[in-house]
Amino acid sequence: MIPVCKEIRKEILKISNASGHGHIPTCFSIVEIMYAVYSNMKHYPKNPLWEERDVFLLSKGHAALGHYCTLAKLGYFDIKRVYSFGSFMSDFGCHADRFKVPGIEASTGSLGHGIGLAVGMALAFKLKKTDRRVFVVIGDGESNEGTIWEAVMVATNVGLDNLTIIYDNNMSHGRGLQIRNPAERFRAFSCEVVEVDGHDIDALGPEIAKRGNKVRVVVANTVKGYGCKTFVQDQYAWHRRSPNDSELEMLLRELDEETI
Amino acid sequence: MDLSLHDERIVMILGDVSVYLFKDFNDKYPNRLFNMGICENTLISVVAGLSSQGLVPFVHTIAPFVTERSFEQIKLDMCYNKFGGNIVSCGASFDYAWDGATHHCYTDLAILRLLPGIEVIQPGSYKELDVLLRSQYDNGNTTYFRLSDHPHEIDLPVQFGKGAVIKDIGAEITVMTAGPLLGNVLEACRDLPVNLIYFHTIKPIDRELVARYSRTKILVIHDAFGLYEAICEVPNLRVSYHGLSDEFCGWYGAVHDIRRKLGLDPKSLKEFIKNTIEKTGS
Repeated sequence: MIPVCKEIRKEILKISNASGHGHIPTCFSIVEIMYAVYSNMKHYPKNPLWEERDVFLLSKGHAALGHYCTLAKLGYFDIKRVYSFGSFMSDFGCHADRFKVPGIEASTGSLGHGIGLAVGMALAFKLKKTDRRVFVVIGDGESNEGTIWEAVMVATNVGLDNLTIIYDNNMSHGRGLQIRNPAERFRAFSCEVVEVDGHDIDALGPEIAKRGNKVRVVVANTVKGYGCKTFVQDQYAWHRRSPNDSELEMLLRELDEETI
Repeated sequence: MDLSLHDERIVMILGDVSVYLFKDFNDKYPNRLFNMGICENTLISVVAGLSSQGLVPFVHTIAPFVTERSFEQIKLDMCYNKFGGNIVSCGASFDYAWDGATHHCYTDLAILRLLPGIEVIQPGSYKELDVLLRSQYDNGNTTYFRLSDHPHEIDLPVQFGKGAVIKDIGAEITVMTAGPLLGNVLEACRDLPVNLIYFHTIKPIDRELVARYSRTKILVIHDAFGLYEAICEVPNLRVSYHGLSDEFCGWYGAVHDIRRKLGLDPKSLKEFIKNTIEKTGS
């Protein structure tokens, strides 16, 4: 695990502990993905509305805490502000509000919406003849929603080669409706698909940077709760739970020791 | 077509409906019209995405599917995110009577008016559509235009958010209606001692106009839900609703057949209003 991703995870743990909120394991599965996307897209933290920027959307909006910690690390705002996470009058809710948080392009939360927005944005960029790109992270559980596949069909049908979908394959779908061989499914929908280790930043980066001739899908094989064995071994209990002080200490230690 | 000539930001999204009607548009602006298929949820999300980047999108398909099915996309992707655009439906109320209850649409106005920031318009005539579409299409809001195949032919002054006084004789009963049903309602009311008020804008409702008749008994006649609820925003009214009952419409046929069955044809309406007048004692 590269140091910056470990630091982001530590902030997620600390803020969750301080606030009593957060879906930690789902945040942990996409830390490298988000860091790799921001490292390869055009953006400017000092001017989040820079007109030439690429767009990143978190369709699995319940990982907002991970997104905030990543944006803070990139310089969009001070991490101290995020410690109000989920509290009354905070700008940092458990699902992000685009009017409150710099760098948030759309308010997401209800699953299966962000990808449709991403398709509309990518189409807008094509119509405006700009080379701006759109990156959207979808969850594997989220992909139970029919709108995910509607949006993929529309995207391929209108030829959005400026759209990259990153599929967080953290096996959370295993709880219910399973999607086996997601790469095969995206290929069947005429996408250009690559499969990578979603925690290997060196593998992720080049695949995210590439722009092909079709809608590009990066199936990122991840581990829900990656970094702490407690999360990985007991995913259900920790899906939406915050650590108390002693648990925080244990989880930070696990993270330092890279127990998984 | 006319608007698109002067506004390059306009993009048309079709849900595999009315495609042939847009042939000329497509010939002229092939990169500004997309028949995206039968996926109404995604059509709305795409419209929101287009809007987010400064384009002015229109989405058009059949009313129940683009509103009832896509309510959450309209609520979140368009209204909550403030990625406004124009939703233009066809198949209002019982326009597709022959298709049965799966294709009837009478809750759209009522549910959409609940969403913060939305504009809900039920144009009753071609003129109303023309005026209201030109005045509202690019104001950044989400605007719902509910089109009908059976417009009325009554020429009225049209201004967004303003109702029209069709008849004011200082009566004790005021009939209020909206949209294409005006033709039937006007015919029914013509010789009766009632006032008649008409709305094409359901949200924002013209509260000032409604309030002007608050001392009278208000009778809302409508072939959908939404107008009555909007009128009830005004406090201290004596208001009742005549239109749909709490059951699905299980009949086929043409729109006039359904209206007759529901008591919304001119003759039935006249009888109903006369009875109401007698009961009221005016």
